[in-house]
Amino acid sequence: MRLYVYCLAEGVERLNKTLHGVSGAAVRIVEFDEALSAIVSVCGSDGFQVNRKNALAHHEVVRSITEQTTPLPARFGTVVTIEQLRNYVSIHQQAIKAKFAHVRGGVEMTVRMIHSIDANTSQEPENAGGPGTAFLLDKRREILRDEAGAAQKGQLSAWLREKLGDLIKEEKISVTPSDTVILARADHLIERVNVQEYRTKMAKAVVERPETRFMVSGPWPPYSFANIELEFSRQFGVS
Amino acid sequence: MSDFDQIIVGEEWENTDLSLLETLDHVLNRGLVIAGEITISVADIDLIFVGLNVLVSSVETAHEVLRNRQATE
Repeated sequence: MRLYVYCLAEGVERLNKTLHGVSGAAVRIVEFDEALSAIVSVCGSDGFQVNRKNALAHHEVVRSITEQTTPLPARFGTVVTIEQLRNYVSIHQQAIKAKFAHVRGGVEMTVRMIHSIDANTSQEPENAGGPGTAFLLDKRREILRDEAGAAQKGQLSAWLREKLGDLIKEEKISVTPSDTVILARADHLIERVNVQEYRTKMAKAVVERPETRFMVSGPWPPYSFANIELEFSRQFGVS
Repeated sequence: MSDFDQIIVGEEWENTDLSLLETLDHVLNRGLVIAGEITISVADIDLIFVGLNVLVSSVETAHEVLRNRQATE
């Protein structure tokens, strides 16, 4: 029997309401011990359709569990046998418990920023040479982009910490610089009780940077903070 | 509104599309990786996982495509 996995959860003995997940399948609990369980549904032999409806169904199940407790959400598309699941939990029990201790009572907030770069400020040398020069210029641009991205990441993290202070339990920032725009994303793990304060502080902060477009979303189940650094694929031959 | 209704802040954004894309981005790109290999098509944009380790596309890319599509309509 193959199981579609939505999340791992602590202290969930029963569901608060009947849930239907991917492909409309009934959601069940697989208990591993008194505290730890997995929220799953049975996956038919023909698998499941990979579409928007099922992706949203996945999220709806995780979101619903998050109203009961802070889960470790699984990535969409996780299908395992019961043996694989038990083996996974058994082998990584300590890491899973440590991860639960870290995210317990927490939620994820996401900040996206888009900052346009004025093309006139770019001082790109013109390519008057041949293919070799073009190659070196490309490498130069690549290096400069990487350096700019690292610098922007640091600046952004410092700015967010200045504005949000102790609300941030953990932060993950990614910056994608290009020649015309900087795309940045910050995911913050915060205490659930601090969601409103977080929103208020971000609403004030974005006013300071009218040149940058912001989008703040959340609270989310802690998708960005759930993963345990594992080489699970090696165990099951998944590449 | 419950505590877990997602709030999107951004005056220039189309909230419905962004809320969907944000949800899909979290579900598709993040979360506990256990096993699997899938190909995903969302909003006519193929999002391809290779062993759940490499994702080609992101919500930024998807949003850019949607904006370009709207601009040409």
